[in-house]
Amino acid sequence: MVTLEELKDNCRQILKEGKVKYIIGYKRKNGQYMTVPAFLDRIEEVDHLVWDPSCIYNLVRYLRDEKMRKEKEKEPDTRPVGVIVKGCDSRAVNILIQENYITRDDVYIIGVSCEKSGIVDEKKLTKKFAGKDIRKLDFAGNGKIQVTCGTKNSVVPAEEILADRCIECTIPTPIVFDVLFGEKTDREVPDPFKTIKELESFDTTRKWEFWKEEMDKCIRCYACRSVCPMCYCDECVADSISLAVKPDTTAEEKAHKIRWVEKSPVISENFNYHLIRAMHLAGRCVDCGECDRVCPVDIPLRYLNRKMEKESLDHFGYTAGMEPEKPTLVSCFREDDPEEFIL
Amino acid sequence: MKMEEKFEPKIVAFLCKWCSSAGSDLAGVSRLKYPPNVVPITVMCSGSVSPNYIFSAFKKGADGVLVSGCHPGDCHYMKGNYYARRRITLVKELLDFIGIEPQRFHMSWVSAAEGAKFTEIISDFVKELEPLGPQNKLRSNL
Amino acid sequence: MEKVLLKKDLNSWAGKLGSYDIYAPFKSGDVWGYELMENQAEITLDYPNTAIPPKKILFPQREVLFEFEATQEGGMEIREVLPDDTPKIIFGVRSCDARGLAKLGKISQGGIEDVYFTRRRNQTVIAGLACHNPPSPYCFCTSVGGSPHSLEGMDILMTDLGDAYYLESVTEEGVKLMGSAEGIVTDPDDKQKADKEKIHSDSEKKILLDISDMEKINEALSEIFDTGLWDRESLSCLRCGICTFSCPVCHCFDVNDEIIRTHPLKGKRVRTWDNCQFPDFTMHSSGHNPRSDKASRLRQRVMHKFRYFNENCEEFLCTGCGRCIEKCPVGIDIVEVLEKAKTYEK
Ligand code: SF4
Ligand code: SF4
Ligand code: FES
Repeated sequence: MVTLEELKDNCRQILKEGKVKYIIGYKRKNGQYMTVPAFLDRIEEVDHLVWDPSCIYNLVRYLRDEKMRKEKEKEPDTRPVGVIVKGCDSRAVNILIQENYITRDDVYIIGVSCEKSGIVDEKKLTKKFAGKDIRKLDFAGNGKIQVTCGTKNSVVPAEEILADRCIECTIPTPIVFDVLFGEKTDREVPDPFKTIKELESFDTTRKWEFWKEEMDKCIRCYACRSVCPMCYCDECVADSISLAVKPDTTAEEKAHKIRWVEKSPVISENFNYHLIRAMHLAGRCVDCGECDRVCPVDIPLRYLNRKMEKESLDHFGYTAGMEPEKPTLVSCFREDDPEEFIL
Repeated sequence: MKMEEKFEPKIVAFLCKWCSSAGSDLAGVSRLKYPPNVVPITVMCSGSVSPNYIFSAFKKGADGVLVSGCHPGDCHYMKGNYYARRRITLVKELLDFIGIEPQRFHMSWVSAAEGAKFTEIISDFVKELEPLGPQNKLRSNL
Repeated sequence: MEKVLLKKDLNSWAGKLGSYDIYAPFKSGDVWGYELMENQAEITLDYPNTAIPPKKILFPQREVLFEFEATQEGGMEIREVLPDDTPKIIFGVRSCDARGLAKLGKISQGGIEDVYFTRRRNQTVIAGLACHNPPSPYCFCTSVGGSPHSLEGMDILMTDLGDAYYLESVTEEGVKLMGSAEGIVTDPDDKQKADKEKIHSDSEKKILLDISDMEKINEALSEIFDTGLWDRESLSCLRCGICTFSCPVCHCFDVNDEIIRTHPLKGKRVRTWDNCQFPDFTMHSSGHNPRSDKASRLRQRVMHKFRYFNENCEEFLCTGCGRCIEKCPVGIDIVEVLEKAKTYEK
């Protein structure tokens, strides 16, 4: 198991040595049992560091902010940034390296293994402990989580409150790191793509009915895109920033500019946005589940990405973020890639 | 009495300039008959077809979309069609997953000499689309 | 006018309101929203609060302003599109959200009138609902001039007495609407009056968040414009649109042309919600972006709500509904930011 004190000591150490600029980790959300991202640049702040099943965030997302900040600075501090990563998050770092978005030297990776557990789905947790005053979550080892309500502790099997993605996760240990806390754990998952099985079995009409209803809900807040460590494009096809509209741009000119996705939250545009996003994440999504978690209207975005993951694996034997030195899924091919579907 | 109008499916076909587009031309100059339902869009290579184009075609009202390139090994840019094949595999799975009839989206290899094959692909495609009726799922509702 | 309506009669009242489009809270999955009630028998007011505030009914996320079409003579024909004017009732609006609508109403009158909003607002009756318990642990209406039973923006305020609703009319519209309930409502007795008063005063005490010294906030904010506070507080911001889209008073929009056909040109000019947390919100056509970092965007959100609007209109552009705190995916808390702003040492 990860010992928080050891983790903290390491963080203090690297801050003290000046090895890292700052560390991205987790801290308690004001008097609550859940956490928020923490940016620790002083040794004293490390006291607040937390590692428990409430550490839901994929902090790799913040490497993008760091990169943007650095690009603006005249004399940037080029030391690496420390980032605490779980198994899934570590693969996200790998992809950023693989795609040359960052270099390995830009990050100091502090790995924490989820072992036989993972992080919670707050909705499942609050449903299970409805009306209880949840104070604290702890890993209890061996696939169990301890939930403290008031002064009472109960230990529950992790899968009762784990996020779906963690239940289906086969790689709970970071695969790239500078230091690792916790045990390297292999996990047997009987059916890693269980979530989408049912949906896949629907006929065309039912599939469509399902997605139509979901897409209808989208308010295009772009939280899904914003939280995603892989959505780092400066310009997204869903935005219109690239289309400079000047006072003298005529209606005709505007009409002829390509706008792939209109801002209007109607079904066709919502679909377009989400299909493009799913495609752009194929072979890149590590199923950290963040988009799914943040969606304010509960669209199961994970299904789309999970489907792409499954197909990448089935057709091309590719799992995202495993081998940063190799080309990405869609920037390579094998001559014998399947092509039965081609006329 | 008004005759009920027959549904004429509209197919948007992204054809690579070097093979498939040439193949469709050959069909034309050879006076091979194929249904006039295709809106051909010539692209430099099947590898240059972004999934964006495909979704947009559906959004703009295509009843079916075809992406066609040179046979493996024949791509003018050596590898474009291999990349396309991977990408299109995923697009196909994705469209199927959200409930778009799989008959609405195809990929083919058509060489410059295969005018007859092109004709056949289009005729079959039209036949497949006819019973499905218009594609309204992804069509723009602005 | 004050009346009492038995809960079991709520739907028969709604049944009498056939000429109105009725909106009421509706739960889909785990998420509450306002839904047009085709089936009026389903109205239930037993809900916390909606994810998206009722502003979306009066200020929809997408609004077609006009349509245009090129004429054969080379001109452009323009057809105004106005919202349909079916009268609407929105049931169950919380006090914070009703105040939000009132603020939006003021904004819609400032400078050039927003005819789209006004037209809808004039056709809409708000039958709001007082809160017994704050629907969210993040409610802070009482800190920003409101209360769980505020009447501002309401036409009718309903208070849940257990088996009945206590109805108070606030406006003429409200009186009219309550008139339609004649026969199923009764006059309140003294006990009911007292109960209602007690519920109101108790509810205020149950609000968990309290920001002190709000009268000094303007001054405090004016002193920290250029400080590192904003950098620090915005570090975890994702730059998504949840806080503003779910805000009952945020009202920024974008205007775009949606092209239906290029030859001859035909399209619609539409306005859609936009928000100051999106990086391209302030993007100039020159490529310059005056608010290019998260810090300046968070600062804008806070300053607009608690300083600029306050200076212009002597009220906050915030009604304390707590949505932005509750819904922020990374726990950014506007109340916390305000507290820090008050005590920030430069
Ligand atoms: S998906 Fe796996 S690695 Fe990621 S948090 Fe869950 S258990 Fe840990
Ligand atoms: S987070 Fe949800 S509502 Fe927001 S853009 Fe993504 S899918 Fe739409
Ligand atoms: S040129 Fe024909 S597929 Fe590349």
